[in-house]
Amino acid sequence: MNSTLVAGVPATGAEPPAPARTPTDWRGAKMQGSIRRRYAAERRFRLLGLGAVLLSAGFLVFLLWTMVGNGARGFTQTELRLDVDFPASTLMIDPAALAGPGKDAALAGADIEGATTAAATAAFGTDGERLLSDGAWLTVRDAIAADPTILRRKAQIWVPAATNIDLAAKGDAAPEDEAAYARLDKAGVTKTGLNLTFLKNADSTDPTLVGVWGALKGSLLTMFVTIVLAFPVGVLSALYLEEYAPRNRWTDLIEVSINNLAAVPSIIFGLLGLAVFLNFMDMPRSAPIVGGLTLALMTMPVIVIAGRNAIKSVPPSIRDAALGIGASRVQVVFHHVLPLALPGILTGTIIGMARALGETAPLLMIGMRAFIASPPGGLTEPATVLPVQIFLWSDEVSRGFVEKTSAAIIVLLVFLMLMNGIAIYLRNRFERRW
Amino acid sequence: MAGIAALTLAGCQDKSGGGSEAGGASRDQIRAVGSSTVYPFTTAVAEQFARKNAGFKAPIVESTGTGAGMKLFCAGVGAQFPDIENASRRIKKSEVEDCAKNGVKQIIEVQIGIDGIALAESKAGPAMALTQEDIYKALAAEPYGKPQTAKTWKDVNPSLPATAIRVLGPPPTSGTRDAFAELILDKGCNADPAMAALKKTDADKHKAICTKVREDGAYVESGENDNLIVQKLEANPDSVGIFGYSFLEENADKLRGIAIKGVVPTYETIASYQYPGARPLYIYVKGAHLTAIPGLKQFVAEYASAWGPDGYLKRRGLIAAPADVRAKNAEIATKLTPFDPAQAE
Repeated sequence: MNSTLVAGVPATGAEPPAPARTPTDWRGAKMQGSIRRRYAAERRFRLLGLGAVLLSAGFLVFLLWTMVGNGARGFTQTELRLDVDFPASTLMIDPAALAGPGKDAALAGADIEGATTAAATAAFGTDGERLLSDGAWLTVRDAIAADPTILRRKAQIWVPAATNIDLAAKGDAAPEDEAAYARLDKAGVTKTGLNLTFLKNADSTDPTLVGVWGALKGSLLTMFVTIVLAFPVGVLSALYLEEYAPRNRWTDLIEVSINNLAAVPSIIFGLLGLAVFLNFMDMPRSAPIVGGLTLALMTMPVIVIAGRNAIKSVPPSIRDAALGIGASRVQVVFHHVLPLALPGILTGTIIGMARALGETAPLLMIGMRAFIASPPGGLTEPATVLPVQIFLWSDEVSRGFVEKTSAAIIVLLVFLMLMNGIAIYLRNRFERRW
Repeated sequence: MAGIAALTLAGCQDKSGGGSEAGGASRDQIRAVGSSTVYPFTTAVAEQFARKNAGFKAPIVESTGTGAGMKLFCAGVGAQFPDIENASRRIKKSEVEDCAKNGVKQIIEVQIGIDGIALAESKAGPAMALTQEDIYKALAAEPYGKPQTAKTWKDVNPSLPATAIRVLGPPPTSGTRDAFAELILDKGCNADPAMAALKKTDADKHKAICTKVREDGAYVESGENDNLIVQKLEANPDSVGIFGYSFLEENADKLRGIAIKGVVPTYETIASYQYPGARPLYIYVKGAHLTAIPGLKQFVAEYASAWGPDGYLKRRGLIAAPADVRAKNAEIATKLTPFDPAQAE
């Protein structure tokens, strides 16, 4: 123990004798206490960090748990078996007419709704039509269109149940609906299955007929416009500012402006979009192209800032080496700097796009909060987007919309996770270490 | 703002010959804007209209609130302006003037039915029965010009329970709030003869005293989301909620309507205007668009076929107007008689 010297003090005899020092007493109460405090601080810090991670994971689990708990039911649908006796019904359609080109007119002219109501009354009693969804006759119409020969016989068609019955099947409804469902279930005319309507329809006023596809397609179109505009403009600005622009007061001013722009609340971009794109440039209201343009304005500064940081972190030695062997500035940028900076740029882009995907406020200003019953066919057709659709459904009167709202949230989260997944994949693919 | 509007109009006239795709110089579907109360009815009609008429596209319905919708509706004539305004109150004189200034001269007013502003509590609540005076005294910022001191319903009226006053209702931007102020607060206020007299001498002061709602936390502004109010009422059985009757009907297993002056909000009492919170709902159609927008006439006709006591709007919570009002409005809907601007208040 005595031979142990304090670290850093050379033990050579040639030196003049150092002033007498008492060696550190590691076993002494004071030292032991101090060591204990040191370890305790380490442990505390580790536990705090772990606690923070657990807390945020807890919030995430809670969110997912409630959403999946409420929303999973939104993806299923209760159907009732409806026996339709077509020859005996009041339906006047000539099966031959359905084979020709006048099919739609023949179907539109027939009172299929009345025949469906009559069949429901015959099958389920006087209040039978109340057990069926408002759109049950659409299923009957589709069945006739798919196979006109059923008009010559009795047919069994599975039609969507009314929203009260649907909720009763899932155990969340008024007692009389539960009783009605129990009666139907006993008769063996119910089944609950995957709700394909929800995945391929657009908005509707009846929760048994709503679908998320219209909003999802609107979101995809809007995001397409946003990325096509914001990504090239953002990356080129970042490249110019980092690689070419001289450092002077003007570029400082531009940098400050871009940072400010990234911090502007999104509703302001909505007002800007309203004033510039709708009122001044006369573009159509509620169209994905206007939504995309507005969101591109919002996303671009985020891409510029992320891009500049990524370009800055490319070591100057790489540029010097490339220039040294005779590469031009453009070659340096496109062969070396950009590929190395790409992972960082992509991460920033995806964060910006994810924010744009979840954005509601600016889109309200440009009229994307409308009731639109068919999925958009193009960039200039009226559309809505997922977060706005969630907002609209959360305000609906009918109780069946509660689970549909949660189901739409799940679709949005899955979409977001896919986007983040692609970002992580691309980043890992392009990442290079040295 | 006026400058931008003028620019837009000029731009629109320049392009109207060109028929540009993006400019929406022509439009093949109906656009409606306006009240969130009328929104579920117009969307239901829009859906049915699209199913019945395979040749027309489904109308686009936007819920902007009555006031903001009126601004859009009155901004001008042309494809970029809406064809229909959903209104939870009658058009105001100032709005008619604004419309006329922008060239919207022919407006067709159709009353589609009645809505009730229901006060409701949880089924577990104390089953209160109120009068307009009670509600006014409990919620006004300065009841009858005196400072607000009521903490519990008992302070307002000794026959009421001693539970704290906690009312969840719509914010001032909502048409429902306007109607609540007009149909309930104003009536309760005018029960005092001094206030009724004040209306004649100083209308502004009367309005401030009679319709300003207290801001000390007893009245909770709950946004436009009525489902949220329903959830909060379940959680706090002592609070009272204010919303459209359709929400009360939809949640009849959880909530109970509060009687006002002994009248409970039900379909019948609202249809007969016995319940004090009953108000008419309207749609306004732009006359200049009737020939330009395909299907607009048929859409109005579809509305008229849906608003009766057997129509599908009843299932959505709309209360049918009395038979004579329906007949009169059905006639307006078929003949498309413009509204006389002199009638507006």
